[in-house]
Amino acid sequence: MKRSLAAVTAFLLAVTGCGSGGDAEDSGPITLTLAGWSLATTPEFKTLADGFRGTHPDITIELKEYDANNYDTQMTADLAAGKAPDVYVQKNLKNFYTYQHGKQLADVSDVAAKLGSSVGGLAPYQVDGKTWAIPYRSDSWVLFYNKALFDKAGVEHPDGTWTWERYSAAAKELTTKLKASGSKALGTYQHTWQSTAQGFALAQTAGAELPSGNFGYLKPYYETALGLQTAGAQVSFGDATTNSLTYQAQFGKQQAAMMPMGTWYIATLLSQQAKGDADSFAWGIAPAPQLTTSATPVTFADPTGFGINPKSSERKIAAAKDFLAYAAGPDAAKALAGIGVTPADNASAVDTILALEGAPNDEVSRLAYTKHDTKPENPVSEYTAPLQNVLKDLHTAIMSGSKPIDAAITEAQDRAESEVLSK
Amino acid sequence: MSAARARWRTTAVGLSFLLPNFLGFLILTLVPVVLLFYYGFTEWDVFGGATWSGLDNFRRMWGDASFWTALGNTGYYAVFHIPLTLAVSLGLALLLNRKLRGVGFFRTVAFFPYITSVVAIAQIWNMLFSPGFGPVNEVLRWLGVANPPGWTTSADASMPAVILVGTWRDMGYYMLLFLAGLQTIPGQLYEAARVDGANAWQRFRAVTLPGLRPTTFFITVLLTIGSFKVFDLILVMTDGGPGQSTLVLSQYIYKKGFQENEFGYASAVSIVLFAICFLVTVVQFVVNKRGSS
Repeated sequence: MKRSLAAVTAFLLAVTGCGSGGDAEDSGPITLTLAGWSLATTPEFKTLADGFRGTHPDITIELKEYDANNYDTQMTADLAAGKAPDVYVQKNLKNFYTYQHGKQLADVSDVAAKLGSSVGGLAPYQVDGKTWAIPYRSDSWVLFYNKALFDKAGVEHPDGTWTWERYSAAAKELTTKLKASGSKALGTYQHTWQSTAQGFALAQTAGAELPSGNFGYLKPYYETALGLQTAGAQVSFGDATTNSLTYQAQFGKQQAAMMPMGTWYIATLLSQQAKGDADSFAWGIAPAPQLTTSATPVTFADPTGFGINPKSSERKIAAAKDFLAYAAGPDAAKALAGIGVTPADNASAVDTILALEGAPNDEVSRLAYTKHDTKPENPVSEYTAPLQNVLKDLHTAIMSGSKPIDAAITEAQDRAESEVLSK
Repeated sequence: MSAARARWRTTAVGLSFLLPNFLGFLILTLVPVVLLFYYGFTEWDVFGGATWSGLDNFRRMWGDASFWTALGNTGYYAVFHIPLTLAVSLGLALLLNRKLRGVGFFRTVAFFPYITSVVAIAQIWNMLFSPGFGPVNEVLRWLGVANPPGWTTSADASMPAVILVGTWRDMGYYMLLFLAGLQTIPGQLYEAARVDGANAWQRFRAVTLPGLRPTTFFITVLLTIGSFKVFDLILVMTDGGPGQSTLVLSQYIYKKGFQENEFGYASAVSIVLFAICFLVTVVQFVVNKRGSS
C-alpha cells in the first residue's frame, strides 16, 4: 500500500512538473539545451554546437527544435510554462522587448564587455545600461543583382552609389530592354513584406522614429514602390500575394534582374544554385539604394542573438555565457561564414564568405558586404510590435491600391495615437 | 441496499465511459474558458502574474476603432455568409435527394471542400482570384467585364471573396445535415399534397420547409456561431487585409494576444465575442420556440 502511494505521488509530481529536476553535481560534464528552428535546413545551430564542443569538451549542447514560423509564440509558451531551453534565440528584435521586460533574459553584460569592437548588432540588446542578449548573426539588406541579365540588357552594373531614383530608372530600363531581347524577366522584385519599403524608410530618413507615431517619412518610399509597379518594372503586389510568390524563385529563377534582400539570402542562393533549385548565373551584391548619396550606405536588419533563460541553474548559466562568447567571437564567425551565414563579426567573415564557390568576389560586392551602417528594423520599445501591426495594414492598403498614400499614412497615425501610444 | 449499489455501479460505469472525453474537455476547453473570464479583467503579458485592472479593458475597447472595425467586418461576414450558405446547402440537398444515377458520387463531391485543408483552399482560391492572370477574372473579362474586381487584393472586394469561399467550403457539410432532415419527412405528406393538386413549389412551401424546421433551426445556430468565430480561412486567405478590410474579431483577438502579448485585453475581446454568440443563440431559441408553439 505504502509503495503504491509513493508511486502515485511520484507519478503526479512528474506529471505536474514539480520536484527538483536538478543538476546535483557541481563539476563534471554538463548539458545545455539550445533552441533552434528548421534544423534540417538551418545548419547554423549545429555548426555552433559542434564548434563549441571542440573547445569545451565537457559541455554538450543539445538542440531543441521549434517551428520557424511560430518560433516566438512557441517560445513564449515554453518560457511561461518553465520548459524553455537554457539558451534561446532572439530571432528578430520585434519580440525582444517582451522577453526582456518579462524578465525572461539573464544579464549577460559581462560577456558583452569582453567582445571585440567588430561585433555588430549589440546596441539594440542594451537596456538600462545592461546587455540582455549577444548577437551571433548580423545581416544587412543589400541589393542582389543578376549580372547576366544586366549584360543581356546592356545596362551598367550598380557602382555602389545608387540612390532609389537611380535604382528605379535602372529597373525600368532593364524591363524595357529585357523585353526587347525576348526575356520575360522584369527589372526588379521587391517582396511583399512591409520591410521592403518601411525598413529602408525608417533607417535612411533623418529624424524618422517609429515610436514618434509620425509616419510621413514613408511617403517617398511608397511612391518609388508604386511607381515600379505601375510601370510594370516589378510584379504587382496583388499578383505576388495571391500567387504566393517566393523571393527565392523570383531572383533564383531569373524572373527579376534585381532584388533588395537581406544577406541571409547569400547562403540560400549558393545552396540552391549548387543543387539546381535555382538557375546558374553570375550575380553580385551592391549596397542598398540610398535616399541621398552618403559615404557609408545606410541600411537595416535586425541582429539575431542568443539570450539565456534566467531560470537555468547557476552552473548552466555560467556555461551558457561561455557559449555566447564563443558564438559572437572570431572562430564562430569563420565557421558560420563557411556555411554562408553572415556572423555578427562581419569583417572576420568577408574573406571566407565571398570566397565560397559561386559567391561574387568583385569590389562592389565586398563593399556592400563590409561597409554599411545597419539600423535595426524593429527599434526596441514597448510600442514596436503593435506599431508594426498598424504599419502592416498601411502597407497592404497602399500596395494593393486600396488607399492613396497620404490617406493611409493619416489613418495609420491616428490609429497609432489612439490604439498604441496613448494606452 | 443492493439496488442502490447496483444503480451506483451503473452510474459509475457510465461516467467512466464519459471520463476520457470529459477529461480532455475539462483540461483543454473548460478550464481555459473559465480562466478567460478572469483574465479579461486583468493586464497580463503571459509572464508572471496578471494584475487586476477592473473594467479598463472594456473601456479601452469602447474607444478602440480597430475593435469596432473587426466587429463590423464580423457582422458583414455573418449577415451574408449565413443566408447564402443556408440557401446553397438546402438547394444542393434538394437537388441530391432524388433517385439519380450516381447521386452518391455527387454528394461526395459536394462534401469534398469541407474535408479539404483550409490552407490548400485558401491558396488555390487566391490563385483563382489573382487580379492579373487568375481564371476568375479571365472569365469575367471574356464575358465583357472591363474592370473586374481585385478580389482578395482590393479593400472593397476582399470580403465578398472571402464570403464566397466560406460558403463554398461549408455548403457540403450543411447539405449533409439537410439531407438527413429530408429523410425524416414522411412520404405520405408529399403523396397527400400531390393528390390535393399541389405543384412542386407548393409542396416545397407546405411540406418540405415545415418538415425541415428543426433541422433548419439547428443549422442556423451552428452557422451563426461558425460565422462569428470565422478565423482560419481569413487568416490564410487575406490575413485581415488589404488594410483592415477583412479583419474579424477572432483574428483581432489572435493579434492582440499572440502577436502583441496583451493577453488580458485579448481575453476581454473574447468575452465580448462570447457574449455576442450567446445572445444571438438565445434569441434564436426564443424565436424558434415562439414559432413552433
